[in-house]
Amino acid sequence: MKQFLKYTLLFLLPVLVIILLVEIFYRSVPNNYTYKHELIESQKETVETLIFGDSHTFYGLNPKYFSSKTLNMANVSQTLYFDKLLFEKYISEMKNLKHIIIPLEYTTMSQVDNTQEDIWRKYFYAEQMELDVPLITWYDIRKYSLAFTQKFGVTVRYYKEYKKNKTLVGCDDSGWGNTYISAIDSTEIDELAKIISRKHDDATSDFSVNKKRLNSIIETCIAKDIQVILVNMPVSQPYLKLLNQEEVQGIVDLTQELGFQNENVTAVNLLYDTRFQLNDFHDADHLNSKGAKKCSQILNAILEAN
Amino acid sequence: MLFNTVDFAIFLPIVFVLYWFVFNKALKVQNVFLICVSYFFYACWDWHFLGLILLSSLVDYYVGRYLAHTIDKNKRKLGLIVSLVTNLGILAYFKYYNFFVESFIDGFTLFGASLEASTLQIILPVGISFYTFQTLSYTIDVYRNNIKPTQNIIAFLAFVSFFPQLVAGPIERASNLLPQFTKVRRFNYSSSVDGLKLILLGLFQKMVIADNCAVIVNQIFMNYSEQSGSTLFFGAFFFAFQIYGDFSGYSNIAIGSARILGFNLMQNFNMPYLSRNLGEFWRRWHISLSTWFRDYVYIPLGGNRGSKGKVIRNVFIVFLVSGLWHGANWTFVIWGLIHALCFIPLVIIGSNAKFQSTADKGRYLPSLKTIFQIGLTFFIVVLAWVFFRSENVSHALLYIKGMFNWSLMSMPQVSKGLILFLVVYMIFEWLQRDKIHMLDISFIKSKPIRILIYYTLVFIVFYFAGNTQPFIYFQF
Repeated sequence: MKQFLKYTLLFLLPVLVIILLVEIFYRSVPNNYTYKHELIESQKETVETLIFGDSHTFYGLNPKYFSSKTLNMANVSQTLYFDKLLFEKYISEMKNLKHIIIPLEYTTMSQVDNTQEDIWRKYFYAEQMELDVPLITWYDIRKYSLAFTQKFGVTVRYYKEYKKNKTLVGCDDSGWGNTYISAIDSTEIDELAKIISRKHDDATSDFSVNKKRLNSIIETCIAKDIQVILVNMPVSQPYLKLLNQEEVQGIVDLTQELGFQNENVTAVNLLYDTRFQLNDFHDADHLNSKGAKKCSQILNAILEAN
Repeated sequence: MLFNTVDFAIFLPIVFVLYWFVFNKALKVQNVFLICVSYFFYACWDWHFLGLILLSSLVDYYVGRYLAHTIDKNKRKLGLIVSLVTNLGILAYFKYYNFFVESFIDGFTLFGASLEASTLQIILPVGISFYTFQTLSYTIDVYRNNIKPTQNIIAFLAFVSFFPQLVAGPIERASNLLPQFTKVRRFNYSSSVDGLKLILLGLFQKMVIADNCAVIVNQIFMNYSEQSGSTLFFGAFFFAFQIYGDFSGYSNIAIGSARILGFNLMQNFNMPYLSRNLGEFWRRWHISLSTWFRDYVYIPLGGNRGSKGKVIRNVFIVFLVSGLWHGANWTFVIWGLIHALCFIPLVIIGSNAKFQSTADKGRYLPSLKTIFQIGLTFFIVVLAWVFFRSENVSHALLYIKGMFNWSLMSMPQVSKGLILFLVVYMIFEWLQRDKIHMLDISFIKSKPIRILIYYTLVFIVFYFAGNTQPFIYFQF
């Protein structure tokens, strides 16, 4: 028995060492989570406009083009669940906050919590953004070790990216995702639109859970006299055409409805805005730096008008 | 708790250490510990259904005891009926209620009558088909006087709930597993090492083969109307490996986990895609279920005895019931029917029991005849899998229709790397075909080379693991 244990441990030793190295890597190399955490901690008392949302606002809204002091707290695949947790954590400390921008998109309202694809993110929010995430149970090993949150292949990819760029941070000091610079190749758009629209089709139009979250944020904002901008972010038209139109309309209607119902809410629909052309997009549904500038200026004008 | 998760990687060593070092003083204590961890293992999915396992266990335990001191034939039959009604009743309610109601309504609609009946929102308890069949086999064996009923309720509860094979088999026989709970277990070094090899092999089959195939299979089956015939064929081809890697992988991890705790579970898969006809395939695929149906359905129906007509009827019944066991959907019934239709000619010409020995023994390369036999058998199996994977029968028919047209000759839009990988995997299986399992490499005398092979496999599992998918057979 002792021999068995000894040999098994010896065999597993290199594996355990690798796990330890992965743990050190995730805990020592800055990424979007650690960096955004630093940003909000240092700017929470001065920020006037706060941007939430997923990759569409992360890449699509550049605080540089806002006249107020703006921080982009959006992140890739950040759901309303985490928007709300971030909002609740910082709202009481943000004395100067005047506006918040929340995107309502095809992927937002019917988003289910804890999907397999993004399940790892919650551990990074908990560990590196110091959020109290109720989805994580105390007996979940990944609560204590980030090494187990990602597949090894993904970690190796991150490591290569880190070696190449010397950082894993993909945003500037205002929180804007600055890696989507170029425009999409127009010959690829149809195929890409097909793939992405399929990926985003979650076959459900149940908005109830996320609507509740949204209403809760709006109510708090009413109490604190904060303006809420709900925006349907622009996407490429080939992609938009392939989406479930009923669900798209449902989201647009909900955005408008919340705008009508609440005095502090402004609904902005940029989905069909013809000012956005194909060369404003990095891919099927993300704006590039040029598109981000355009979109940010449009929203800034709305904020100023408010 | 899934076998291919960090949770299980922590759970198993803790169980191992407590089992051998803390609770090893008395057999009874060790068995109680196994019951506790097994119930915990199951509760990680849904503790609400623990009561069903307990109910099924208690009914069969007491029926067994009742049969032990009952000589009267009618009373014994009554005892058996109580067990059958309880176990099959639970199964029928949770698994088949909606299927039968919907089929009944559809049947009436076919004849122009409309029928109002409501289905229920029923959650299928994980592994229900596995443990009910296991506990049922105990009562039937006791009834037939094949085994003596146990008086040890702790051992019996541990036998039914034993966590490595609780939710997806192998479906053990009381004659093999139950005695292992009633005698003192000694740690066996070589058996435990072999257990670890099986766990590694199982993780490889599940995380690398099955999970990588699953992504492509889901894409192709979800959008089958847009795919070429060749892509559809490879969609079915990949599903064949997905389900094999998934289920064989699960079984290997189960057997390996049991080994390190001092138990020997039966082999459930024996390189089935190297079979030379369907008869051989069913002796190598899901062996614990095939033999269950053989012993408790086929033989009681008459088995090979009687006229050819009767034998054919028996084969039909077994395959249809086997199809239905897999799921409450006509797709599974038709899957069983296809196997029955292709199996019956073998029964008629008397070659269903052919190919008991290793193919082309002593040769590195298979003969052309063997390649043809394996290829044909695999082709039939792949076609049948289309029904197994499809959501409904019309979906499956359209899929097959889409497969067989001129575009079958076109270049498939699938990962060529994965095809190559699976071909290489099958070559390794071929080379290892006379071994107990694929990772039985004790014939390699050099220890460093053996260790290098294990590390290579560990690396592949870590690096090439696909997105974690639930085990397919959990739904059964």
